[in-house]
Amino acid sequence: MHIAAILRLNPVLTEELEVDEDGRDIDREWIGLELNPFDDQALEQAVLLKEATGAKVTALAAEAEGGERLLKTALARGVDEVLLIEVGEENVQLSSRARAPLFQEALEGLAPDLVLTGVLSTDDIYGELAPQLGALLDWPQVSAVSNVALGDGVATLQQEYSGGISARIEVQLPAVVGLQAATQPPRYVAGSKLRDLLKVEVPTVEPGADFGADLADATELEVPDTSGGAEMLTGDAEAVAARIHEILVERGLV
Amino acid sequence: MTTPILWALTLTAMAISGWRFWVRFRPLLAARPAGRTDRIADRLSFMVGDIGLHRRLLRFSYSGILHALIFSSFLVLFTAILESFGSGLFPGFSLTAIGGETWIALLQNIFAVVITIGLGMAIYHRFVIRPERFEGSKTRDATIIYVLATPIVITMILEASARLAIDGQGSAWRPVSTLFMYPMMALGITGHAAEQAEGVFYWAHILAILAFLVYIPGSKHRHMFTAGPNIFFRPLTPKGQLPAPAPTPGEDTPTTVQAYRDFTWKDLLDTMSCTECGRCQSVCPAHAQGKPLSPKKLIMNLRDGYLTDQGLMDSPDHAMPIVGGTIQPETLWSCTTCRACMEVCPVHIEHVPKIVNLRRSLVEEGEVEPLLQSALTNFQSQGNSYGKPAKQRARWTKGLSYKIKDARKEPVDILWFVGDFASFDPRAQKLSFLVAELLGRAGVDVGILYDGERNSGNDVRRAGDEGLFEMLAMHNIEQLEVCEFNRIMTTDPHSLNALKSEYPALGAAFDVVHYSELFLELIKADRLRINPGQAGRVTYHDPCYLGRYNGIFDAPRDVIRALGHELIEMPRNRDNSFCCGAGGGRIFMEDSPGGERTSESRIREAMELGDIDTFVVACPKDVVMYSAAVQALGVEDRIAVRDLAELITETVETEERVAQ
Ligand code: SF4
Ligand code: SF4
Repeated sequence: MHIAAILRLNPVLTEELEVDEDGRDIDREWIGLELNPFDDQALEQAVLLKEATGAKVTALAAEAEGGERLLKTALARGVDEVLLIEVGEENVQLSSRARAPLFQEALEGLAPDLVLTGVLSTDDIYGELAPQLGALLDWPQVSAVSNVALGDGVATLQQEYSGGISARIEVQLPAVVGLQAATQPPRYVAGSKLRDLLKVEVPTVEPGADFGADLADATELEVPDTSGGAEMLTGDAEAVAARIHEILVERGLV
Repeated sequence: MTTPILWALTLTAMAISGWRFWVRFRPLLAARPAGRTDRIADRLSFMVGDIGLHRRLLRFSYSGILHALIFSSFLVLFTAILESFGSGLFPGFSLTAIGGETWIALLQNIFAVVITIGLGMAIYHRFVIRPERFEGSKTRDATIIYVLATPIVITMILEASARLAIDGQGSAWRPVSTLFMYPMMALGITGHAAEQAEGVFYWAHILAILAFLVYIPGSKHRHMFTAGPNIFFRPLTPKGQLPAPAPTPGEDTPTTVQAYRDFTWKDLLDTMSCTECGRCQSVCPAHAQGKPLSPKKLIMNLRDGYLTDQGLMDSPDHAMPIVGGTIQPETLWSCTTCRACMEVCPVHIEHVPKIVNLRRSLVEEGEVEPLLQSALTNFQSQGNSYGKPAKQRARWTKGLSYKIKDARKEPVDILWFVGDFASFDPRAQKLSFLVAELLGRAGVDVGILYDGERNSGNDVRRAGDEGLFEMLAMHNIEQLEVCEFNRIMTTDPHSLNALKSEYPALGAAFDVVHYSELFLELIKADRLRINPGQAGRVTYHDPCYLGRYNGIFDAPRDVIRALGHELIEMPRNRDNSFCCGAGGGRIFMEDSPGGERTSESRIREAMELGDIDTFVVACPKDVVMYSAAVQALGVEDRIAVRDLAELITETVETEERVAQ
């Protein structure tokens, strides 16, 4: 059994983001990058499956910068192999659609039984990557999955719906899964493991495939207006309570 | 005829006692090395103060005095023990030649009274005063010792009384025994009867001593034997330098502490030396706040766990594993590593290294709480707990009246290691700004590392991630080593501790000063002109990593006084300072206090001084911690938390003012 986990870096969102000069992307000069939290879940699920079934796990990334470090962390987390797809330093903003053919090519080479990736990311809020890959590879694909179990040639998945409803789905392998949550939250990897891997060379490949063409383009990006709308309540507890009551009544909330 | 019996009894008791010691200490031979045999002279000379002069014990005056009374009496009364056993085992042995019947006898009589007073004070202390620090100590053990020690003294006195009663002649050298001779004679115990009584008291004395000897190895009172070695083998490395994990003999790579043999022998000796006095508990901020940590119980639990593991105790509560069995993870995570416990422990037990060692084993297993996990992950990816890109480290310098040099590109006199808090926290950034402006005004040739700086790793190390600490430290050392500078300055005591005390162990020794020290120099050299005027009544809080860990107590105080303020000390000051609660990685963790937050109790302590208007701090974390505490207590209008940099800024003469 061979599992591929696809990992992506996202801008750190605890930061105040600024729009760049073109007004079509965030200013990436000052931002930090972190592992997309959903991909983090996919990585954890892959390692959990490895522990449960002895499957081999390969982690893949296609990043302009920070990809090496990302994949070393994946090694420290327990994956067996990693592969970094070179996209060129200038391509700091690649959509899922642009990256999908690159991943497709790499996956065809690796021939895994299961591909796990995050259901969505801050750069891909529609969660396109998993469906794109499913379509390109012509494999079954399920998104919004919160639990994965492996059987003989099949995977049993739990797909989440709104309102706390979920469905159990069985798919033939190979398949692509957009993961929402792993069976257990991602664990911490001690620095000692990471330190031991710092000198490891991360294997890279030059893609033969071209970037996928985007069907839509951002025309304008704006930082949401967060000024105004807030009122500081001062005074003693009674005065504050009275004012809260007033506001609730004013807005017709009670 | 009695000699062989005494020999048999003595040898049996010694064998039992020796065996009881041996089984408890044998495992130390298989434990990890601690390397404590250097600088013998320093080790010995220190013991004079700590044992002979009771330096640490007397910090708690009542119990310090009672201990001094009992301790000195034991030394004197040892002569009586020598006489009893010497004369019994080797007929003809006597101390008479050197004063056994004169001044030694007198001393014995005097100290019989002294020890009685000491024991009385101890009993009164334990059963009437009952300080909180005894909570959790084993009262039964203490009681048994009182019960065993008292007859030793009484029989010693009465034996001599009976001897005097034989002829009915009192002795000026034995006033106490003479005193008891009269009632004895009144009871008709003279002559032959007195001879018999002397024999009875003699044997009672012998038996009490032997019972004591047999009992001791299993009691906390074995500290009579272990305290000396424990103090002798105390660490002589800088206080701020945590020991790295040591390898177990026979294995080459250091692993975490899973079993008792993974501790160093000194760690195990520590547990066997604890007197359960609870001094550590009484100063522990975590305990005061109602967290599930008492340094005393931690050591007692490790001891009981160790004994249970050795089959010497049968306690299901203390069965393996260490973490999760004997010691709960929450206990370990509650520690702020403030070092108050270690500073006050009379037998120099090292609590913090044990806590960190056990944390290391949790971290290695990936068992960290969610907030700490995200902070540590941020350190791994960005080199700071905020998860902010290194590029933003120097953002706070925007708007300064001059551009701070990049120390990586040009030589500087002072390399300012800014630290995470001072770089990223909005409130602390403002203070960094003030410090930078003050340095500019004083014409200091200063530079920073810009995006080359990473967190110093001080708190990461104490949170238990040794590998991450090494990565951060090595990064900083590599950056610093290519820079040209004379001294490093930092406003952050945690960074100061790492740079000054931790990095030397990694082969990088720098001259490091705290900004309070640098500003004191600048003021003294008149490079910053002070214009005292708005003198206030202020108090000052010693940050743990500045004071207790690195001994910098006076510089901040001197600065405050130089600015013209009246400094009123809080009851807990200098090395007895009370932690703000942020250290040891606590600042990255969830804080759900059971009781009052330590920072709040500290503010309360300051307010009890009377009309204090300013609470002065000299640590960026303190500014944040105490400002929050003042707010939580709702006393903003009565006391203000101000950093040293703010105080200096408002009293220093600006160029414009100088020009006028
Ligand atoms: S270091 Fe401080 S918080 Fe930790 S156990 Fe000792 S006194 Fe308590
Ligand atoms: S660790 Fe030290 S201070 Fe604490 S109870 Fe034991 S002997 Fe006393």
